[in-house]
Amino acid sequence: MAREIIARATDVTRRYRLGAEEVWALNGVSMDIYEGEYLSIMGPSGSGKSTFFNMIGALDVPTSGTIEFMGADLFSLPEDKQAWIRCNQIGYIFQTFNLIMVMSALENVTLPMILRDEPQEQADARGKEILEMVGLGHRVHHLPDQLSGGQRQRVAIARSLANSPRVILADEPTGNLDSKIGQEIIDLLKKLQVEQGVTIITATHDSKMLEISDRIAWIRDGKLERIENREDVEIKSGSMH
Amino acid sequence: MKIAEHLEFSTFNFQSSMETIGTQVRLPFKRALAIAVSGIRIRLGRSLVTVSGVVLGIAFLMSNLTGQIVKTALSEEREQSQRVDMMMSLVNAEVGSLEDRTVAVAAFGRVTATDLAFVGRVNSSGPALFRAHGLDRSGLTAVSLQELGKDADLVFVMGDAASASISLQELTAGMASPLVLDTQADREYTGEVGDGIRREPFFGKQAEDMKEEAEVAARTERFRVTWILVISLLVTVVTVANALLMSVTERFREIGTMKCLGALSKFIRRLFLIESALIGMAGSVCGALVGAALTMVIYGAMYGFGKVLLSIHYGQLLLAAVVAVVCGSILSMAAAVYPARVASRMVPADALRSTV
Ligand SMILES: Nc1ncnc2c1ncn2[C@@H]1O[C@H](COP(=O)(O)OP(=O)(O)OP(=O)(O)O)[C@@H](O)[C@H]1O
Ligand SMILES: [Mg+2]
Repeated sequence: MAREIIARATDVTRRYRLGAEEVWALNGVSMDIYEGEYLSIMGPSGSGKSTFFNMIGALDVPTSGTIEFMGADLFSLPEDKQAWIRCNQIGYIFQTFNLIMVMSALENVTLPMILRDEPQEQADARGKEILEMVGLGHRVHHLPDQLSGGQRQRVAIARSLANSPRVILADEPTGNLDSKIGQEIIDLLKKLQVEQGVTIITATHDSKMLEISDRIAWIRDGKLERIENREDVEIKSGSMH
Repeated sequence: MKIAEHLEFSTFNFQSSMETIGTQVRLPFKRALAIAVSGIRIRLGRSLVTVSGVVLGIAFLMSNLTGQIVKTALSEEREQSQRVDMMMSLVNAEVGSLEDRTVAVAAFGRVTATDLAFVGRVNSSGPALFRAHGLDRSGLTAVSLQELGKDADLVFVMGDAASASISLQELTAGMASPLVLDTQADREYTGEVGDGIRREPFFGKQAEDMKEEAEVAARTERFRVTWILVISLLVTVVTVANALLMSVTERFREIGTMKCLGALSKFIRRLFLIESALIGMAGSVCGALVGAALTMVIYGAMYGFGKVLLSIHYGQLLLAAVVAVVCGSILSMAAAVYPARVASRMVPADALRSTV
């Protein structure tokens, strides 16, 4: 099976300016991301992982370089096509959840459906269904700050799944959680990839995450250090015994 | 529980066959309205704070407008009673007390409120008989023009017609000493002015001077009023704009989240425009009511409620309320346009990072 490329970064840079000082959060990153793969992005804090996620997810514009998504140059697409991609093709799970604090769990989950004009009743029914699947059937009307960190994360996951995306961008999805819930989220993402062919891109420090990834990209100081296939990693670690 | 085991993938549609990039739907207005209303509802506390900002601004404007209306009405009433006083003092100078006298009034054309107030005053100063022609009021005996003067001590002529349809002789036929007091100095009567008939205008040279003085005073008053209204409008602009500006900028993060989930900039602008229009209208209506009521209570306490309620022009008050509500609604929308535009144009990542 030929591997289809869903997203391609070419020489992407991102500069932040803080007064006179310049920070190159990304400094020439090129990478192909294949449809249906499980890609983990590793790197120390501040290496540019979240910045890279924003570019792939059409949330931020590179200073130079291009991002292709589904074969099109993402940032020369008109706004309504970019919005369509964000709404229908990508599910975001943010490092800081980014739930809307004044909206209930259900309202947060139905928002992506409402933004593509699904009828309210249908969205509500579907939202409840998904929340039940992630084990929050009894918390649908709670506000995010009435939920625990793990529950919030599950609301964020439910929201990311709402429109059946082809790509899930998960920025440290297990970062703030205990290992048990972390493992559940890893299982979920893996199952989505294996059974449904959803492309999973995660940023992580979690070694459990590495075990199930197809490829691991190492980023340091805004540069792509190397990309490894899991088989290679296993062989290497095996040979070390 | 194991999330992964509970997911029913069959209800999803992950393997979308769509291979071309689509275009995000534009939500219909009704949908945007519903979302804006629910946005106001879920933020009820915050929305009420914004509304009260608008209420404050519009109440201030409305209380100034109402104050002007009440003051104008009261000063009109004062002016009228001054003019009636002047007219009565002329009457008293000419014929002394009206008690047990016979007086008559003829009206040609439309009479003014001052004239009517004067007729009322004459009637209450105890004449034995008060004949009238062309004026239908209780306490007055309607007679024909020819019979008006018989035995009368005094004939009043009023109304805005430039000429009277009778000669002075006929009008004063049967009077011992014919005396006609006319509200217009240059009214024309048919025929010649007969001998021995005295005709005096109510307002002579002295009254003209007073009128001029009053006009100068009115001009300075108009300037003062305009100034107060301009200032109050500015205060309103600042209060309302601030309330709306705050309510949009503190939601940058939320706007970023909405954009991540596929909201179009235009939709976000529309959302805020609808919200600010609703908040503006609700706030302005409340503000207009509060402002008008409060001002009338204050003036009522100072000058008497009956006097205030009877003398003001309700048409003007309604107009002022409409002006205030329209002002408030437009202002609120205008104040939301700029921050909503900035927010909607923000790159989602920047909007998400904002911590206003
Ligand atoms: N808005 C910003 N303004 C200025 N500098 C920024 C901004 N966002 C990120 N940076 C800088 O860019 C670099 C990369 O940041 P980024 O958030 O991508 O790191 P990260 O790899 O996600 O780190 P972490 O693992 O801690 O989440 C950092 O040095 C950071 O200070
Ligand atoms: Mg990060």
